Amino acid sequence: MATIKNMRNKTTRFLVASLIMVLALCVLVFSFLAITMDRRSTRTINEVGKIYMDSMSEQIALHFATTINLRLSQVEALVQTHEAGYAEGSEEVMEDLIYSAQARGFEYLAFYSEDGEFEMLYGSEMDVTDPEPFLDSLNQGEQKIAVGTDRQGNKLVLIGVSTVYPMRSGKNCTGLVAGLPVSYISETLSLNSVDSLVYSYIVRRDGSYVIRGQVASTDNYFDQIYDAFGPSEQAEAERCVRELQAAMESGEDYSAVLELDGERRHLHCTKLAYSEWNLVVVMPYGALNQEIARLSSQWIFISLSGCVIVLGALLLVFAEYLKMNRRQMRELDNARQEAVQANKAKSEFLSNMSHDIRTPMNAIVGMTAIATANIGDTQQVQNCLKKIGLSSKHLLGLINDVLDMSKIESGKLTLNMDQVSLREMMDSIVSIVQPQVRAKHQNFDVFIHDITTENVCCDSVRLNQVLINILGNAVKFTPEEGHIHVSMYEEESPKGEDFVRIHLSVKDDGIGMTPEYREKIFESFSREDSTRVRKTEGSGLGMAITKYIVDAMDGIIEVDSELGHGSDFRVILDLEKAQVMEADMVLPDWKMLVVDDDRQLCESTVSSLQSIGVKADWTLDAESAIEMVAEHRKKRDDYQIILLDWKLPGMDGISAAREIRRLYGSDVPILLISAYDWSEIEAEAKEAGITGFISKPLFKSTLFYGLKPYVLPERETVQKKKPREADIDLTGRRVLLAEDNDLNWEIAEELLRELGLELEWAENGKICLEKFQASAPGFYDGILMDLRMPVMTGYEATEAIRGLERADAKTIPIIAMTADAFSEDIQKCLACGMNAHVSKPIDVREVAQKLLKYMQ
Amino acid sequence: MTLQECYAAMGGDYEGVMGRLRSERMVQKFVLKFLADGSYDLLLSSAAAADWQEAFRAAHTIKGVCQNLGFNRLYESSSELSEAMRDGKPLADPALLERVKEDYAATAGAIRALQEALGV
Repeated sequence: MATIKNMRNKTTRFLVASLIMVLALCVLVFSFLAITMDRRSTRTINEVGKIYMDSMSEQIALHFATTINLRLSQVEALVQTHEAGYAEGSEEVMEDLIYSAQARGFEYLAFYSEDGEFEMLYGSEMDVTDPEPFLDSLNQGEQKIAVGTDRQGNKLVLIGVSTVYPMRSGKNCTGLVAGLPVSYISETLSLNSVDSLVYSYIVRRDGSYVIRGQVASTDNYFDQIYDAFGPSEQAEAERCVRELQAAMESGEDYSAVLELDGERRHLHCTKLAYSEWNLVVVMPYGALNQEIARLSSQWIFISLSGCVIVLGALLLVFAEYLKMNRRQMRELDNARQEAVQANKAKSEFLSNMSHDIRTPMNAIVGMTAIATANIGDTQQVQNCLKKIGLSSKHLLGLINDVLDMSKIESGKLTLNMDQVSLREMMDSIVSIVQPQVRAKHQNFDVFIHDITTENVCCDSVRLNQVLINILGNAVKFTPEEGHIHVSMYEEESPKGEDFVRIHLSVKDDGIGMTPEYREKIFESFSREDSTRVRKTEGSGLGMAITKYIVDAMDGIIEVDSELGHGSDFRVILDLEKAQVMEADMVLPDWKMLVVDDDRQLCESTVSSLQSIGVKADWTLDAESAIEMVAEHRKKRDDYQIILLDWKLPGMDGISAAREIRRLYGSDVPILLISAYDWSEIEAEAKEAGITGFISKPLFKSTLFYGLKPYVLPERETVQKKKPREADIDLTGRRVLLAEDNDLNWEIAEELLRELGLELEWAENGKICLEKFQASAPGFYDGILMDLRMPVMTGYEATEAIRGLERADAKTIPIIAMTADAFSEDIQKCLACGMNAHVSKPIDVREVAQKLLKYMQ
Repeated sequence: MTLQECYAAMGGDYEGVMGRLRSERMVQKFVLKFLADGSYDLLLSSAAAADWQEAFRAAHTIKGVCQNLGFNRLYESSSELSEAMRDGKPLADPALLERVKEDYAATAGAIRALQEALGV
C-alpha cells in the first residue's frame, strides 16, 4: 500500500519537475531568440541606415562639388576669355566681362588684390566673412570659395579664381571673385526643402553656419547640438561635438547615430571641396524607425505566442499523461486488493477445509480402531463400518468439490455434450434426494409443466450436478416438515427453432439467506459464517461450481431469498433439441381420471395424456373423484384407468382407492402418482387395491411408459374366454413365410411377431425354396406356406423342399395357410408333404399351436 | 365415420377382426392398405384377357385378404368367383364377376369414407 502511494508520489514529483524544467527551457529559448533577433534586426537596420545616409551625404557633397565646379569653371572661362583684354585694360573688355558675368547670374564681380582688397566691377561693397584662407588659396593660385556680406547684410557666396590682372589701383591682382546669392547654393542642394526628411547644413569648423537650414535656431551648429540633447545628456552632446570637431579638423568623414527626443537620427559630416566648409546631413529615422519597432514587436509577439502554444500543448499532454498514470495506478491498486482478498478467502477456506476434512477422517480412523478392537462383535463392526462408509462418502464429496473447483479455476472444466432425456434426469435426481427428504420428513413435490421436448443435448453429468447441488442445499437448509418444490417448464428459446428454453426452479421454505450472503453465494470459497449454518457442513464450493457450470452452458442462474422464509433458485438453460424422433407414443382411446390437488399438474397431465391419445377428466380431491366414478358407472361409461395422487387434502389416495374398490370392484386399474419413494407404502397400497405406481415428474413419456403395461391385460379382460397365447412361447423361433400378397404378409407378420417368432418373408414358392436351400440345416424352425402363388405354388415348393438332400428337408414343419378349407385341399396338402393346414383368416393361436406341435 | 361404421357399411365382420387383430389401430392400418392391393386390378385385367389361370389366382388372393380382414361380403362373392374359375376354368357366368365388382366398389367406398373421416 505504502509503496504504491510512494511510487505514485514519486512519479507525480518527477512529472511536475520535468514539466517545470521544460517550461523554463521553453521560455528561455524563446526569449533568447526574440532578443537576439531584435538586436540583429536593429543592427542591420542601423547598418542599412548608415549606408543609406552616407551615400546620401556623399551625393549632396558631390552635388555641391559639381555645382561649385560649374561655377568655378564659368569664372575660369571668364578669366580665360578676357585675360588678354585685362592686360590692356580695355574698357570694352571690361564691359564684356561684366556682361558675361551678369549673363551667368553672378550678382557680384570684383578683382581681388594680393593684400585682400576688392576692386569691384559691379555689385555692392562686400566683406569676406573669413578672408584669410580665401586670400591664401587665391595667392597660391588655387580656386576657392567663401562667403561675403555686403553693406545691407546680404550674404553672397564668393567664388574666387586665381588670375593676374593689373588693377586700376596698381596693386597686384590675385584673382577674380564672383558672387552668387546663398540661396542659390541652398536651393541647388535642396538644403531648405520643407518636405524633405533630411536636414542639411553647411558649417565651418568652429560650428558657425555657412548656410543654415531653416530649422536651425542658433548661430552655431554645436550649440544646436547642445540644445538638442537637453540638460541631462550634455556629456553625450560634448562627446558628439568633440568627435565632430576632430573629424572636421582632420577633414575626415564622420558618421553617428544620435538618440534625440526618443527619435533616432543619423548624422553625417563630410568636407566640402574648394572651401573650409563641412556639410552636415541629419536624417531622422522616423518611418524607418517605426517599421523597425513594429517588426520587432511583431517578432516578439510571434515568439511569445509560439512559446505559449508550445507550453499549452505541453501542459495538455502532461495533464493527460498524469491522469492516465493515476488511473493505471488505481487499477493496479484495485487488482492488488482483489488478489489479496482472494488469497485471504483461499487461506481461510483452506483452514476451514482442513478442519472439515479432519472431522470425517478422524471418524474413519477412530471407527477403524474400534472395529479392529471388537473384531469378534459383528454388530459393533457393522455399526463401525456403516459410520466409516458415511464419513468416507462425506469426505469424497468434499474432495470432489475441491477437485472440481481447482479444475474450474485452472479453466480445464469442459462440457461433454450428449443426448439427455429430461425425464430420466429428473427421475434420477428425485430418486437421489428422496432418502434425504424422507429422513427429514419434508414435503417434497415435483411439477413438470408441458414439456414437449424431452430429449435434449447437454452434459448430463454436469446438469445433474447443478440440480443435485441446488436440491441438496434446499434439503439441507430446510428444517423438518418444511416444503421443497421443484418445477420445470419449457418455452421457446431465443436461440432458434433447434433450441428449447428450460426453466428449472427449486423453491423451499427453509432458513433462507441474508442479502449480503446472497450477493456472494456464487463466489468461490464462500460459506455463510454464522452459527446457524455451523452444523450443516460442506465445502462451500457447491454454488460456485454450479454457477460456473451454468455459465459454461450459457445459462442463467438466479436466486431469490429471504432470511427465515426460504430460497428460490432458478436455472434457465437454452438446450439444443436432440435429433431423435421420439417413439410414436399412442395409447388406446381410454377414458381416464386424474386426481391431484395441484390444478396446474392436473391440466398439464390431461394435456399430455391427450397428446398420446387418451381422454381424461381431472379433479382436485378424493371425494369428488369417487363421485365422478359413480356418475360414469351410472352412465355405463366407466373410467378405464384412474390416476390418484397419494397426498391429497382430506381423504388420501390410498383411502380413496380402497373406497373405489369397495364400491365398484376390482376391474379398473388404479395407479398412484407420487414424488416419494413408495417402497414403504407399497404394501398398504397394494392391500388397498392400488394396481401400480407412476412416479412424478409426469413427463409425457413417464405417462406413456407407466400406462403401457395396462394395454394388453385390459384387452384380455374383454376376451377372457379365449385361450391365452401367452401359454405358447415361440420366442426366438425362425419361420419362413411364403406369401405373395403384401397385405396378407403384413397381417401375418404383425400377428405372428407377437408370439416372439422371427419371420422371414418369401414372396413366392421359388424364393421360399431358395431361401431354405441357402440356409444352414436347422436354421429355420418351420415354414408357413401359402398355396396359390405365382411362379411356384405352395404344393410345388413343398415337394421340392421335401426332395432336397439335407438333414432337415424331411423334418422341418411345413404348414399350409390357405383361403380354401375344403377337405380335398387339405388332402392335397398332406399328400405333397405338408404337416398341417390352417385356413385363413389367420388365427394366431391356431398357427402357434400347429407350429409348436410339429417343432421339436 | 368410425372403423366400426366402415365395417357396417361394407358388410364386414368388425367383432371378428377385432378378435383376431386385437387393436383398432392395427385393423385400421390394414384396412387402409387394402385399397393399395393390386389383386383386384389383376383380376379385372386377367379376366378381360381371358387368362383364367391368373384370374383365378387373383380372385383367390382377394378372398384370402378379405378373410384376414373380415370383409365378409366381398369374401363371399370373390370366393364364388374363384371357385368358378378354379384350375383355369373359363368363367361361364359373368354375373359372378359383376357381383365381385359391386362388392369391391362398396368395400372400397366405405374405406374411402373412413379415410376421409380420418383425414389421411
